[in-house]
Amino acid sequence: MTRAEFPELGDVIQDAEFPDLDLALRRGRHVDRDDVAWYALLTDGQDHLEAFYRRYGCELVHKPDGYYYLLPTGDKLSRRQLAPGDMLVGQTLALLYLDPSAIERGGRVASEDVVAQLVAVLGSDALIAAFHPKRKRHDERVAQKAVRARVGEAVRRLAGLGFVDLADGDQLRLRAALLRFAEPVRGLSAPAEALAKLVAQGEVALAPDDDAPGDHDDEFDEAEPGHESPIDDSGDNAGDDPGDEPSA
Amino acid sequence: MKSSRNPERVLAGVAARGLKLDLGTVDLCFLVALYVRGETANLTSFTESQLEDVFAQASDAVQPEADQLRRRATHAIQRLRDQRLLARVDGQGVVRTGEFALSRLATGIVEFFLEEDVLTRESLTLLTTSLATALAGVLESARTASDDTRGTDDAWRDRVVGPLQITIGELVAGIERRQRGLDLQQEDFQAEIRRLLEADWFGAIDRCQDLLASTSATLHELNQVLLRDTSVLLGLLQEIEALAISAGAAEAEVTSHRVMDQVDRIATWGAARQRAWSDYFQYVHRYLRDVVRLDPTRALTQRLRDQLAGNGARFALTCAGATPMRILRTVAPLRERPPVVRPRAPREREPATEAGEDPQAVLEGKVQRALDGGATALSTVTTEVTAELAGPDRQGDRFVEAGRVAHTVAQLARATGELERPWVAVGDDLVIEDWTLGASKP
Repeated sequence: MTRAEFPELGDVIQDAEFPDLDLALRRGRHVDRDDVAWYALLTDGQDHLEAFYRRYGCELVHKPDGYYYLLPTGDKLSRRQLAPGDMLVGQTLALLYLDPSAIERGGRVASEDVVAQLVAVLGSDALIAAFHPKRKRHDERVAQKAVRARVGEAVRRLAGLGFVDLADGDQLRLRAALLRFAEPVRGLSAPAEALAKLVAQGEVALAPDDDAPGDHDDEFDEAEPGHESPIDDSGDNAGDDPGDEPSA
Repeated sequence: MKSSRNPERVLAGVAARGLKLDLGTVDLCFLVALYVRGETANLTSFTESQLEDVFAQASDAVQPEADQLRRRATHAIQRLRDQRLLARVDGQGVVRTGEFALSRLATGIVEFFLEEDVLTRESLTLLTTSLATALAGVLESARTASDDTRGTDDAWRDRVVGPLQITIGELVAGIERRQRGLDLQQEDFQAEIRRLLEADWFGAIDRCQDLLASTSATLHELNQVLLRDTSVLLGLLQEIEALAISAGAAEAEVTSHRVMDQVDRIATWGAARQRAWSDYFQYVHRYLRDVVRLDPTRALTQRLRDQLAGNGARFALTCAGATPMRILRTVAPLRERPPVVRPRAPREREPATEAGEDPQAVLEGKVQRALDGGATALSTVTTEVTAELAGPDRQGDRFVEAGRVAHTVAQLARATGELERPWVAVGDDLVIEDWTLGASKP
């Protein structure tokens, strides 16, 4: 997998794309074929880079669906788990990715489609409850608005991690890395068994039963009518600058 | 092609005239039927009975069970006439039954709906070849007009501008119309791929790939033809433009430039579609490979849906989470600020008694010195004492001081005066009645 012009690791590191790619991977970015230059560098220097990142206690994972990401297995590089809200939105986007209707538009969907899909699967009440776990009574209009805001924030964070591209207007472009959200149910084995295997590999972490999307959004419970809830950091750095876009 | 129309004025005109179109399916079918009948029977106009016949045909297609055909035909004809889609062309009024023809608006509407031309390699090659031939002819005419020194304006207009505007314009419009047709066809392909996958998930792969391959091949061929032929067309147009510039034929220059813009647009369309289709092609191929082939029974969607609905344990993906590198800003040295203190000594001073100066005593001293100096007239004393107050800005002070001097002189010396005392100037800005002064009073 290492092309002739990269006989040594030093040659990979000398590549002009490497610094940005390295920073992006370390910040959790998933790199797929649409990131033309980065993907080519990863593919051509894969052997060297796998050994390189292993020294940092990380696995450079390459999925057959056509994307790379860095998975910390030791303590040298910090790791994080996606927030429950991001997981909910990520699985919804994966569902849209599998839907043939998205193919008509070349994998483009509107933000409204994401909320519509969430409503279709969970139902309005369950969706609002998922983002309002502590609140017993709420204004319906405010709650719906807040859910839309939460979904929008989650989409932006997932875009930073390379799961979607934010296109013009209200459009999103779905990317292959979304299939990672479907990993526990992709194989022929039972989902629980597959999930246990993924947990053992460090790919996923099990969330406590009472860990609902809104548990991380204390401000949300206090939201007054007409007040936009602040951005949910969810105690992690998912929203931090995930790195520059690759030059195609 | 730039328009010199002012959009605000045009819109205001349309709004003021209250223009609108209101056409139902029956009306559109009626128009289409008239257009087709005219084409097949080579008719340029229709009699009233022909209109009713055609309406019956259109009504049959849309509302086969509707009755009162004649009455509805009358209303339909009136609606079309009101909207200027059908015009009476015989000019006979009530003398006899009329003859009607489709207006330009109606023809345009019908042609839009009947438009089925799609760009193919054959049609594009034919059109670009015709275009090149026509342009070569125009170029020859331009050369002739350029050589001809007499009546060049007419020659340029008739042989160059006219053909460029009409023949060439129509050919270019023909290509653009077919491009739009191909755009629509591609949209249909994309919808068709979706329908095929929804109908027969795994079984649709081959059919989808065939559709993708055929469209890609068509676009590739078109792009190649466009790249090759547009450079030839632009070369011819540039020659025409250069001749027009050198002959000073402004209209021909502008027209050839406009046609060049259109040809550029055609070439740009090809490249843009090729890129867009390339992205779509890759996306669908990946989808077929990564999603459809790996999930032939389409179970993944349902299992993912169940997972999302909350069946099973909740989990969270693990990602690398290195914090961004800290870039320290340049530290500027802090400016030392003196501590805030209160002065120990009292701010206010105790009042002290100071001997003042009596202005009248000072004045008396000055007057006495003047008298002792030998002054024998009030004017002399006044001049001497008020010399310090000279100047235009102190004129008022000097006037007041002159009064005080006179008062003091009267106290210190004996003054005598004639009945008519003379007025004597004291400096440039003051005149006083003069006194003669004697010895000082004891």
